[in-house]
This record gives sequence, C-alpha cells and structure tokens, in this order.
Amino acid sequence: MNRHLPSSSYFRPLLCIDEMYVSFDTSLGRVKAAQNICLELHERETLAIVGETGCGKSVIASAILQLLPSNASVKGKAIFLGRDLLSLGEREMADIRGQEIAIIFQNPSLSLNPIMKVAEQVAEPLQIHRRLPRHRAISKAEDMLSRFKLGDKASPVMYPFQLSGGMNQRVMIATSMILSPKILIADEPSKGLDQSLARQVMKELAGIKDEIGASLLLITHDLLLAKEVSDRIAVMYCGEIVEAGSSAEIFDEPLHPYTKALLNCLPEMGFKPIPGSSPSMIDPPEGCRFYPRCRERLDRCLLSPKMIKVESDDGDREVRCWLY
Amino acid sequence: MAGIKPGSGPCAMSECFCGDGKDVRGMEKECDRPYHCPYGGILFRKVSIIGLVLFSSFLLAAIFSSFLSPCDPWDRFEPYLPPGQDHILGTNDLGQDILSELIYGSRVSLIVGFGAALMATTIGSSIGLLAGYFKGMADEILMGITDIFLMIPQIPLIIVLAAFLRPSFWLIALLMGSLWWTSTARVVRSKALQIREMGYVQSKRSLGFSHLHIIVSDVLPNLSQLVMPKFLLSIASAMIAESSISFLGLGDPSMKSWGMMINFAFSRGGFINGYWWWYMAPGLCITIFVLSIVLIGSFLEERDESIMGQQ
Amino acid sequence: MLSGKKATRYAIALFLIISLNFFIPRSMPGDPLTNLLGEDISLTASSVQELRERMGLDRPLSQQFLDYWHDILRFDLGYSFHLHRNVSDLIYDRMKWTLLLSLPAMVMGAILGTLLGARAGWKSSALRRTQTGFIMAIYCAPPYFISLIALYLLSYKQGLFPLKGFYSTGSALDIAHHLFLPSAMMTLFSLSRNYMIMKGSVLQEKGSLYATFARAKGLYDEQILFRHVFKNALLPIITLLALDFGFILSGALFIEIVFSMNGMGSLIYDALLSRDYPVLQGSFLIITIMVVSANLLADLLYSYLDPRVRWQ
Repeated sequence: MNRHLPSSSYFRPLLCIDEMYVSFDTSLGRVKAAQNICLELHERETLAIVGETGCGKSVIASAILQLLPSNASVKGKAIFLGRDLLSLGEREMADIRGQEIAIIFQNPSLSLNPIMKVAEQVAEPLQIHRRLPRHRAISKAEDMLSRFKLGDKASPVMYPFQLSGGMNQRVMIATSMILSPKILIADEPSKGLDQSLARQVMKELAGIKDEIGASLLLITHDLLLAKEVSDRIAVMYCGEIVEAGSSAEIFDEPLHPYTKALLNCLPEMGFKPIPGSSPSMIDPPEGCRFYPRCRERLDRCLLSPKMIKVESDDGDREVRCWLY
Repeated sequence: MAGIKPGSGPCAMSECFCGDGKDVRGMEKECDRPYHCPYGGILFRKVSIIGLVLFSSFLLAAIFSSFLSPCDPWDRFEPYLPPGQDHILGTNDLGQDILSELIYGSRVSLIVGFGAALMATTIGSSIGLLAGYFKGMADEILMGITDIFLMIPQIPLIIVLAAFLRPSFWLIALLMGSLWWTSTARVVRSKALQIREMGYVQSKRSLGFSHLHIIVSDVLPNLSQLVMPKFLLSIASAMIAESSISFLGLGDPSMKSWGMMINFAFSRGGFINGYWWWYMAPGLCITIFVLSIVLIGSFLEERDESIMGQQ
Repeated sequence: MLSGKKATRYAIALFLIISLNFFIPRSMPGDPLTNLLGEDISLTASSVQELRERMGLDRPLSQQFLDYWHDILRFDLGYSFHLHRNVSDLIYDRMKWTLLLSLPAMVMGAILGTLLGARAGWKSSALRRTQTGFIMAIYCAPPYFISLIALYLLSYKQGLFPLKGFYSTGSALDIAHHLFLPSAMMTLFSLSRNYMIMKGSVLQEKGSLYATFARAKGLYDEQILFRHVFKNALLPIITLLALDFGFILSGALFIEIVFSMNGMGSLIYDALLSRDYPVLQGSFLIITIMVVSANLLADLLYSYLDPRVRWQ
C-alpha cells in the first residue's frame, strides 16, 4: 500500500525502543513476555510486528503507553521526541496518550464502554485534551464517524452493542485518530473480523494514517496483512525479535529459520505447520529460543545469538541467528 | 426478577454477606480482562490469616467451653461488678460471670449459626443444582420460587413466626435455614449451567450415564469450591439474625446466646445504668466473629478467582 | 419496560406473601381467635362467640380467604385490642416517623457509600485501607449494637444528644436534635453496605478492557472511574442494593428500638411484648409490600438506565 513511498531510512526515527524488557509476576512464576526489544519507528512509516499469538507482541504495544497491569515490570527505554516514555509519570503519560500516541485494541466490542453512546466516546479525547465543549466535540466526532461510513443519522446515537464488530473497530479507529496523533499503535486490528472486512478496515486505517501523516505500529499475527500495508516488518518469537527488515525483503528472502517456517505456514506456500509447540514464557529454552523446533540448528545455537546486521539493499536488515 | 444476570463467565464476583441471608454478590460476570491482574497481595493474605486465627479460636472456645470458662455461667456472685481481678469481664445483674457466659454463649451462637447455614446451604445447593442441571421448566419454576423468597424481608418474617411459636433456639435455626438459601441457589445454578455444557459432561450424557451419576461424580465436586464461601457467609448472616431476634426477646431464655446477653443487658437496665461491659463483650464477639468469617470468605473467593483467571 | 415474565413474578410474589399472612395465624398452634386478636385480652364467653363470628372463623376457609383479600384491598388490616385502634391507622402513624428516620439516611448512605466504595475499589492507599477497615467493622456488627455504643458514648457519657428518642410533639429543631444520632447511625449502616458492594463491583470492573481503553485515550486516574467505570459498576448492583433494602429497613427498626423512637420498630417491639398479633402481621405485610415495591422500582430503574436492556 505504501510501496510508492521511498525507503524508510529517509525518515527520522520518531519512536526508539531500546533494550526493553517486560515481565509479569504471576502465581505460576515470572512470565518473561518481552526480552531485549530494540525497535525504531520512523516518521510516516508503517512498522509491523508479526508473530504467533502469545509471543509477546501485544505486550510491547501496551508497555509503550504504560498500559500494563500492576503486576508487570518494564525495563529499558522508549524515546519519543526526546522523552523516555517508560520513565514518565502517569500525569504526563495521560497527556501523551490519545494526543501524541493513540492505540486501538484487538477486541473492539469490549474496548468500548458498553453503556455510552458511540459518538460520545469518539468525542471524549476532544473534551479531555482540547477542552472542547460537549456539543462541539460531539459534532466533530460525528464528522469523523461519517468518514468511516458511520455517519448515517442512526449510528452516532447508537451504543456499541448495536453495532457489529467491524463497525466498533471503526469507532475505535475514529476515536484514536480524532486528535491526529503522531503514532498510532494498532494491536491486532484484524482479529475477530473476517478476511475481507479486515482488509477493508485496514485500508481505511491506512488511508487516514497517510492523510494525517502519522506513523503506524501494526501488531498482527496475519503475515499477509503485514505484507500488504507495512514498510518494515519485525518478526517476534517467544518474547524476542528474531528478524527485522523491509517487508519486501522479509518475504522475498527470509533469513531466520522461524521466519521461513512462518512463511511456509501460509496457504499459498503449502500450509506446512511448524513442528513442536510454542515454548513456555516462564521457563524459555536456553540459547536460541527457537532451537527445539529449528530444522537448521547447530551446536552453538545453545548459546544465545545476538541481533546482527546483515547486508541488504535497504540497509536495515537484522537477524538473531547463528547462521549469519 | 431481581434483574441479576446469571452470567456464564468464569469469574465469580467477590462475596458480600448480608445479614438478611441474601448474600449480595450472587452474580457472575464475563471475564474480559486483557491480563489477569491479582490485587491485594500480601496484605490481603495477612488479613485473612487473622480471620482464620480468630475463627478457629471462637470454634475452640465453643468446643471446649467447660474447660475454658472460669466458672459456671449460671453461678451467682456479686452483681454489677465492673471488669476486674476476680471477674475479668465483670458480672451481670444476677452476679453471673460475663466471661463464662460469653464462652458458653459461643457454643449456642455457633450451633445456631452452623445449623442454619448447613440447612440453607443444603437446600440452596440442591435447588440450584436441579435448576441449573435440568434447565427448562424446572429452572423456571425453581428460580421463580427463589426470586420470591429473595424478596421476603426475612427478619420481619422470622419475628412474626417466632412470636407465634414461642421458639426454642432449634426452631430459630430451622426458620433461618429454610429462608437463607436463596443466594446459594442462584450461584450454584449458574455454575451448574456452565458445568452441564462442558465437554466431558456432554459426552458422558451422550454415552448414557445416568443423571444421578453425572451429578454426583462431575457436578457436585465442582461446586464445593463455590459453596464453601457461601456456607461461611451464611453462618455470618444467621448469627447476625439470631442476635437480632434474641435482642427482641424472642430467643430461647434457657439458652444464653450472645444475642440473649445483649437483650438482658438492654431490657434489664444494663444500658441505662451505664454497665457497658454487660453488652459490649457479647456485641464485640458477634462483630469479630462475623468479621473473621467475612475475611476468610472473601479470601476463598479471591483464591478461586485467581485460579480460574489463570486457566 | 418490564417484561411480562417479570411482571408476573412480581404479581405472584405479592399474592403469595399476602396470602402467607392469612395462613400464618390460622396454621399456628393455639386458638386461631387468639392468634388473630392477640393474647392477654380478657373476653367474656359471649363476646368470644360474637368475635368469632365477626372474624368469620365459623365460615369455611375459602370464604375466609376471600374476605381477607376483600379487607386487604380496602386497607383494612384488622383491629388491635391492646391499643384499641385500627392497625392500618397505627401503622400509618408510626410509619411516617420510620420513613423520616430511614429514607433520608438511606439516600445519604447510598450516595456516600457508592462514592467512597468506588474510590476505595479504584485505588488502594493507606487512608482508604483504614477507611475500609472501619467500614467493614460497622458492616459486620449488628446495627443495634453500633447504636448502643454510639448512644452510650455520645449521649450517656458526653451528653451531646438526648438519650430518649423523639415523640410527635416538639419543634422542628427539637425533632432534629433527637433525630440526629439515630439518623447518623442509619446512614452509617446503609453506607457500610453500599460501600462494600460498590467496592467489590469497581474492583471487578476496573480490570475491563474499556477502562484500559479510556486510559489509552488520555483520561487520568479518577476521570476514568467517574466517566466510565462508575456507571458500569453501579448498574449491575442496583438490583442488589434493592434486595438489601429489606435488610436496611429491618435495621432501622432495631435502631428505633435502641433510641426508643416512636416508629415502626417500637410498635413491633411493644406488640411482641404483649403478643399483639394483628399489629405484628400488619407491620410485616406493609414492610413486605414496601420491599417488593422497592425491588420493582429498582428493576424499572435498571431497565431504564441500562441501554442494553432499554433497547431490547
């Protein structure tokens, strides 16, 4: 979708995640949900984090905005416009949320307040951040909703339970975009929607993102969706980023055995499942996390591989594997 | 009728006991949290241990009354003695030792509480189980009855019945037991509804196992965790109600429960003359005992919830 | 608004409860006449016969039942031979005072209880934990016991408030002075119950995804609580609070007895001492009708406030 844009290295980094670790204390033990995450999100680009369900990709999204529950501990840095988001206080964070960085969640019907009219929910950021009076905020919200084909007289006065999942997803997107944030984080926006509807919603999302010049951090398990809309892709496995690079390169020439295996799961590649099962995040495998399931494993894979830069046309190619 | 949605989610809401026997938290709710988030933590655990210690010491006092109490609760000494050396908690108008009365009274109060709670829990579980397991018409009728019972103001009803019956304290326990079961029935019903839809129960049914077999081997074991806190909170309800009824003079005069002690203190001038130790001690006992139950009960529920949250 | 099924259940509940009142005196041990009139009333043999006829006790039970309903529908609740007045008049006189004591206190308790409880469930702090501990102690104590303590400390020891309750004479200021302490106790009692229920509901609700999304929109702390979580947490417990109404009203009766106030509580207490059955039954009937009505109101309110029900 954004193929016409020049390569991402033309843009300045807007958000720079540096050595982020996220873990949760549960009664079963410490869940190491994300380890040593380093990512850069550039201006106006779309970066997709892909991986299986439960690999920790959603945790990154919530951690950036400090939205994790109290049993989570987050280490590292997330520099946004010179400020480290992870060390900001709740008050300063509240100013950034919704205004500078917005997020949409994977479960639109549960993310919206069930007993509040849709238009009022879309209008809320205007009231909170811009201090607009109620009626003006709501009329702006209705304009925004009509962009998403939800403007027909009935929808704004409706409640989330009267709308379909796809419509609720659009309501959430409208809410997030109403203040033209610099970054939009979309956490599994296609989950729970059927293929064509997901594509449709994604197209609308990408359209409005380009229009306001925002960057998009897309978190998805849907490889094809990532391929269609993103400029760059980071592949995540068991809490670690195992490979990153431009979308085209990742798909044309996957480097990490996990990425290759993931691509082989796609229907057009023959639906070949990855042998074995996802490892425990409480007690992850020693060395390379993918070692137990890897077809190309070597003895030294029992030592943890580092993320290394690989030569490529676009410059930014990285992989965490001893094969390179 | 009361509009409480019998949800199907795994997260049972934490409990609130209600002295009217209608626990106010019979509802369940869909668990839609993104991450399970345990709250309370260490402080909460510490508080519930205190509850457990208090509860067991009352239990011990009730069991070993005759060993623990310094004298016979019916023996007479000098009346109206304030707390002091000879009588740690003082004496009443007849010169009876208040500490001994309290210790023996714990036996009466606890028997009434446990008896009523046992009965209420049995009735409530059976009704809830039948309604939830068989669904349909049985459910409609049984839950209709439950809703009606739920709305009867129970303490006034017991007052009226007790006035006619000149009750013994067994009768009071019986009356409370036959009224207090409603919330247990509701909670058990929604759990039974869930269990009957589970794969292993469904497959057993299609294999032709009898209803009785399935109920005994699959449904009942799954209910015990749910019923235990309900049972505890029913004890609390029954004790509050018993003390209230006794306070009105409707208790059994031959049995000294804590409520009866307060009634005597109030009606025989203990209050108006400022003999605070007479009614303060039994009142505090009731309060602390109920508190200990509420602490344990909410801990049990919390634990269930966190176990379910991790599934 | 109210589904047919629910309306039927309310009707059945009311019918059964009122009928129960008919059967209680007739099924209890002892002479039904005594059970209907009350004990310790000296009557001559001829007047007994006359009363038996007047009460319709010589007629078949079905006829008596119809007569009973006929009386109920005309608000005739019988006659108190102890107090020599119609029961309905008696209750009307006393209920005013009970409502004066309990209604404002219950409203105050509901507002304060839900607000404080919501905040306590929202965020924990040392102050709020202490507050919860204090309210929990009140919640676990029988309401008459709390009142006894307050009466002893504030009236008996400190002399701040009168020891005896008010009677229907006296100036408004005097009534207020008498009413303050019992009302405060009643408020505290109702507050403690609403507090505990609301706290639990908010604890449950604050983990939901819409609350997180509200935070993601940039709402700060209690903005999230009061703009989003509060109403969602309150809705499901409206009907629970209504179910609690019967218990809170019973609590009011006990508080009245402790403060020797001239309301329903004392009426019932005196009726108990003299076994004045018509008064007891009439009081039970009226209290029950009030509780059922409160539940009905709560149901209506709930279906009005919750759009998910309203639009169905």
